[in-house]
Amino acid sequence: MISTEALVDKVVNEVLRQLKSEGIVDSPKVKSSNIASQLDLTEIGPAKQGTVEDEVIIGISPAFGRHFQENIVGVPLKDILREIAAGVSEEGLQFRIIRVNHTADVAFIAHTAAKLSGSGVGIGIQSRGTTVIHHKDLEPLNNLELFPQCPVMTLDTYRMIGKNAAKYAKGESPEPVPVVNDQMARPKYQAKAAVMHNFETKYVKTGVKPVELSFTFN
Amino acid sequence: MLVAGVDIGNNTVEVALAQVTEHKTVFLSSGIAPTTGVKGTTANITGVKFAINDALKKAGVDIKNLDLIRINEATPVISDMAMETITETIITESTMIGHNPSTPGGRGLGVGKTTLIFHLDKVKPGEEVIAIVPQSVDFEHAAAMINSASSRGVYVEGAVVQKDDGVLIANRLNNKIPIVDEVAYIDKVPLGMPAAVEVAEQGYTIKTLSNPYGIATVFKLSPEETKNIVPVARALIGNRSAVVIRTPAGDVQERRIPAGSIVLFGEKGRTTVDLDEGAKKVMEELDRIYPLHDAQGTAGTNVGGLLSKIRSTMADLTGQKPDSIKIQDILAVDTLVQQKVKGGLANEFFAEDAVGMAAMVKSSRLPMEKVAKIIEEELSVPVHIAGVEAQMAINGALTTPGTAKPLAILDLGGGSVDAAYLTADGKVKTVHMAGAGDMVNMLMGAELGITDKMLLEDLKCNPLAKVESMFSIRLEDETVKFFDSPLDPQLFARVVILKDDGMIPLPGNLKLEKIRTVRREAKKKVFVTNAIRALKQVAPAGNIRLLDFVVLLGGSALDFEIPDMISDALANYGVVAGRGNIRGTEGPRNAVATGLVLSG
Repeated sequence: MISTEALVDKVVNEVLRQLKSEGIVDSPKVKSSNIASQLDLTEIGPAKQGTVEDEVIIGISPAFGRHFQENIVGVPLKDILREIAAGVSEEGLQFRIIRVNHTADVAFIAHTAAKLSGSGVGIGIQSRGTTVIHHKDLEPLNNLELFPQCPVMTLDTYRMIGKNAAKYAKGESPEPVPVVNDQMARPKYQAKAAVMHNFETKYVKTGVKPVELSFTFN
Repeated sequence: MLVAGVDIGNNTVEVALAQVTEHKTVFLSSGIAPTTGVKGTTANITGVKFAINDALKKAGVDIKNLDLIRINEATPVISDMAMETITETIITESTMIGHNPSTPGGRGLGVGKTTLIFHLDKVKPGEEVIAIVPQSVDFEHAAAMINSASSRGVYVEGAVVQKDDGVLIANRLNNKIPIVDEVAYIDKVPLGMPAAVEVAEQGYTIKTLSNPYGIATVFKLSPEETKNIVPVARALIGNRSAVVIRTPAGDVQERRIPAGSIVLFGEKGRTTVDLDEGAKKVMEELDRIYPLHDAQGTAGTNVGGLLSKIRSTMADLTGQKPDSIKIQDILAVDTLVQQKVKGGLANEFFAEDAVGMAAMVKSSRLPMEKVAKIIEEELSVPVHIAGVEAQMAINGALTTPGTAKPLAILDLGGGSVDAAYLTADGKVKTVHMAGAGDMVNMLMGAELGITDKMLLEDLKCNPLAKVESMFSIRLEDETVKFFDSPLDPQLFARVVILKDDGMIPLPGNLKLEKIRTVRREAKKKVFVTNAIRALKQVAPAGNIRLLDFVVLLGGSALDFEIPDMISDALANYGVVAGRGNIRGTEGPRNAVATGLVLSG
C-alpha cells in the first residue's frame, strides 16, 4: 500500500522546488510574526450547549493559533478571528469561540459549532483561512455560505462573514458575502494548502470534545 | 374537415384544433406558444408554427390532414408606456445624513461641533463636540480616543463613523453616545460646524431631528430659519438615525421638476392638465372629454418627451410617420421611484414622485393579409382571415358553462385591457384601454428598484413566503407550512417566490410586506381602474349596473389575485364577474381561437 501522506509530501516538495526555480513563490515579505500578533486563547472548559438565541459560535480548527499564527497568505489569525467576532458584535449578538478537536474538516467544524450554538448558526474556520457559515438543521456537508478560496479573502471579508452569520441568527436575509474568484489561487496555493492541512490533521484528537476558549479583542 | 383557429396575441399565439362537420364541431386539442415579433407582422410565423405543431402533436394528427387555418383580423391596437419622475431631492452643503444604517450605535441625541477624531486631544475641556471617524481608524482606537477625551472633560456628544463600526465603538465607550455609521463620503462632512446626531431605540424612529421645532430647539433657530429647515425634518421622518449639520446656506430641497402639461383632444372638447397635479387629475380630465382623439405634451418637458417616445415607438412598429400617430387612450398612474439623493453623504435613497403612463394607438389595419399569405406558403394549408377579434372572443367566451347573451367580456392582456359587449340581438361594441400586465411590471420595477424582467414577471404572478427555519415557511397570509426534509440552504432566512416548480429566493433587501403591497397596488391601479373604465364604455347607457355577466379572459385572468380584485370591485355594481372557462376546459385562455373555429 502506498502511504498517502508520504506521497503528498513528495509531490508538495517537488512543486515547491519547481515554483522556486520559476520565482513564483513570493519571498516571505509578510512574515512578521511578532509576539503581539500571537493568539492568546485560554481554554476555559468544555464547550456547552448554548441556551440563548442571540449567539453565534465560532469554531476553530485543531491547529488554529497553536501551530499556525497566520493563514495561507500571511494574514494573522488573530486579526481574522477579531474581525469575525467584530462582525457578530456589530449586529448586536454575542459570540463564543470553541476549538473543535475531533476533526480538521471545515464543514464538520462549522456544523459542530452550529449544533452547540443557541441560535443554530455557527462559523467554522481552518488555520489556512477557509471558512463556512453553517446551520444546525443542515447536513454537515451542506452549508449556508462557503468560502473555499482562502487566499483571496481579506479582513473585510471576514468582518462580513461575522455580520452575515449574525444576521442569519436574527432571522434576517443577508446578501451572501461577495467573494473574489481567482483561477490562479488553486494552482498557486494547492500545495501549501495540502501541507497546512497535514499539520492540521496532526493536531486532531479523536474522541476529544470541543473546548470553549476565552478571547479578548486586544 | 380539420380546422385550426389561430389567435395571434401580443404575448402568446393560441390555437384551437377541431373536427368540423356540417352538424357538429368536436374540439381535439389546444396549442400555445410565445408570439414571435410584434403582433401582426410577418415575424409572427415562427410562433404560429410552434403553436399549431403543439396542438397537432397533442391531438396526434399530422399537419397534412389539416384542411383550414383561420386567423383573426387582429385589432390594430398597440400600446406602449413610459415613466418620468416629477420630484427630485437635493441636499446642499452636506446639511444632513439620512441613510438609515441597519446597526447604528448607542442611542439618544447629541449636539456639538463636528471635529475630526485625530483633533480631539486639542479640544478644550468643557466643549461639546461630535467626533468624525474615518475608516482608517480601528474601532478600538476610536473608542480609546473618545474615552480619553471624555476623561479630560471634553463632552463628546456623538459620533459619525465611516465604517460599519457603530455598535462596536458604542460598546467600548464609558459614556453612551449616539453613533451614526456607514457614512460613505465622510470626507465631505464639514468640520467645525454645529451638528446634531440622533439614534433611536430599536424599533422606534427619531423624534427630534424629524421635527422642525426639534431642530429649531437644538440649533436655537429663528422662526424664519425654522421655515427653511422643514424639508430637512421631513426627509428624516421614519429614520432610526440621522445627523443634521448646520451650515451657513445648507438646505434640503425638494425640487418639482417642471414635468410639463398634457393637452387632451377629445370628442367633448380639449383640455390641458399640468402633470404636477398628478395622475389622478389627468384621468379625471380624460374622463370628462372621452373618447380621446389625440394627446400631446409640451415640447421640451418630461411629458412631451414621454409622449414623443411612445409616438416614435408606434411609428417604428406601424411604419407610419410619428405626426400621423393619434393617441387613442392613456392611463396615467401615480407612483414612487427610489432615487439616489443628489448631494447625499451616505448614498441616501428617497422615494420620489413619478407618473407612469401607458398610451394606446390605433394604427391603420395591421397587415394580416401578409401574415396569412406567409403561413399559407410555409405550411401549405389554406388560410382564411375570419372576423374581428372581439367578436371571436365573445363567441369563444360563450362556450363557458353558465354564460348567456347579453354578455360582456374583459380581455386582460399584456398591453391593453379590452372590453366587448354583446347585446341580446347580436350587436357587438368594443373598446381598448391602454395599460395592462406590462404596465404592472413597469410600476413594480420602478417602486421596488428591480430591473430584471424575468424576476418582475415572477414577482407579479406568484405569491411570496418567508423561510423561517430549515423546515418551515410563513406564507403571505401568515399561515405556516412545514416540510419533512430540510429546505435548500440557499433559501434559508429569505423571502421566496412560491412557484409551481419550486421556490426562488429574493435578494435580501426586499421585504415581503413591501413587495406584497406594491404588487397589489400596481395591479389595482392598472387592472381594476381599466376594467371599470372599459366596462363603462361598452355597458348599455354607460352604466355598469346594467351588465349581467362579465367574463374575464386573457393571460392576466390566470393571475392568482387580479380576477378576485376585479370581481370585488364589480360586486359593488351588482355584476357577476368571473374567470372564463372556455369550452369548459381551457380556463380563460383560447377564447379567440375557439371563436374562430366556431365562426365557420
